[in-house]
Amino acid sequence: MTGTSKTALDGALDTALDTAAGRLRAAYATGAPCAPVRDLIGTGDDRLAAAYQVQERLTREWLAQGRRPVGHKIGLTSPAVQRQLGVDTPDFGLLLADMAVPDGAEIPAGALLQPRAEAEVALVLDRDLTRERHTIADLVRATAFALPAIEVVDSRIRDWDITITDTVADNASAGRYVLGTRPVRLRDVDLRTAGMVLERRGDQVSTGIGAACLGHPLNAALWLADTLVRLGRPLREGDTVLTGALGPVVTVAPGDVLEARIAGLGDVRVAFAAEENT
Amino acid sequence: MNDTSTGPIDVAALAEILDDAARSGRMVSRPADTTPLDVPTAYQVQRAAFERRRARGERPLGVKLGFTSKAKMAQMGVDDLIWGLLSDGMLIEDGGTLDGGGLVHPRIEPEVAFLLGRPISADTPPTQVAAAVAGVAVAYEVLDSRYQDFRFTLPDVIADNASAAAFGVGPWHPPAGIANTGLILEIDGRAVATGSSAAILGDPLRSLAAAARLAGAAGIELEPGWIVLAGAATAAVPLPPKAHVRVVGSGLGQVEVTVR
Repeated sequence: MTGTSKTALDGALDTALDTAAGRLRAAYATGAPCAPVRDLIGTGDDRLAAAYQVQERLTREWLAQGRRPVGHKIGLTSPAVQRQLGVDTPDFGLLLADMAVPDGAEIPAGALLQPRAEAEVALVLDRDLTRERHTIADLVRATAFALPAIEVVDSRIRDWDITITDTVADNASAGRYVLGTRPVRLRDVDLRTAGMVLERRGDQVSTGIGAACLGHPLNAALWLADTLVRLGRPLREGDTVLTGALGPVVTVAPGDVLEARIAGLGDVRVAFAAEENT
Repeated sequence: MNDTSTGPIDVAALAEILDDAARSGRMVSRPADTTPLDVPTAYQVQRAAFERRRARGERPLGVKLGFTSKAKMAQMGVDDLIWGLLSDGMLIEDGGTLDGGGLVHPRIEPEVAFLLGRPISADTPPTQVAAAVAGVAVAYEVLDSRYQDFRFTLPDVIADNASAAAFGVGPWHPPAGIANTGLILEIDGRAVATGSSAAILGDPLRSLAAAARLAGAAGIELEPGWIVLAGAATAAVPLPPKAHVRVVGSGLGQVEVTVR
């Protein structure tokens, strides 16, 4: 792309990205899911950059509103989910302080559009990760501790009808997240072989293992660290990283209470209000 | 079953057919296709086929449980486990080789195993089941249905000794909680299936309690020194020829086998 045509194309793309961001913004504002955005920004992994630009537009708005960024989530970390979306890379979204739910707390009815839940390993950093390429050693040194987590994912896009670009534009389908409260040092847990079970009222709804997340949750975090440096906003001391699902995602219904247990990390739970009370 | 049109079931004849199929690695037709085979009779066939193994010098070494995940039970349309009998002839020592030539279409799955230190029978209170465990280990089971495409009814698979073919166990560890133990099944060094032992009824100990109940109902006491294969943490995966397989269990080490 050169010369005059670039400007025209850029203008058209800008409009498309703005329209996509507007669609997602309206879904957040109204609580009504929107149509996919792939008709505006394309789909397939060669359109990922455009999708992240939509995400970036919304991120800038949220930060301008004074919402506090607290880290990132990593998505698409299992081969099965990657195959389903036809990609061979994870994706990421931004975590904001107002997305964090205390252990055992209830998410109000209507707070989310189409919630689903998955159990994950969360890492909390105590160093910046600003190098162009990081090693596992960098990451181990930068990890203050790990916590068990439940990520409550949500899609602003109707019926979760998503391709890779739809979910990336939609902040990687981030919704809420819950962290356990007992920090565990990496030396005290084998995250690769740690078993995971997710239960709804004692009924087992998902099981898995650390290795299901790109072979090891640290592998996912490594990808994120390098990716964010390339984008000019590296992971920082104090950041939380949700590394990705250890087992299949489950749908949730009003009134559900979910508990996740990750061997060596402990347990964490979240409740969903039974009905809307405004 | 009082269906007289097909006549009484010849348990011994069916046992011979299935035992021969397992020995020769040849498929046979499903008995339930042509006979009114019910579950109790299917277990009689299983027992009779196992007696043929004993007559050839194999010794009983324990039991295996099947359909231990809700997904599998739902898929089979059943609400209880099935069990099969293990012999020393099916045991492959850790790091040993399995003769794949004698199998029809083997699959392998990662499991956990219990070693019994005390007998368990139908009379053992559920609260005493855990106390009978002398050791726990990571394990694998090689399944090989003697029926085409692994397709069968519940009585068919029970008669076929719950598709049992071979198994191996890693080093025994002192009894400890294995309710949420991560398991990784590797073929030729690559992880092909991963899961948690929580997929086994929420806790493999429940599988052991079920083994006591089911075997007890059949008049079999689980003896000290016996092994109980509690069930799979993942779906079974096809076992390719010449594969090197390793199963890793969190805190339990590993167990290996090479297909020859």
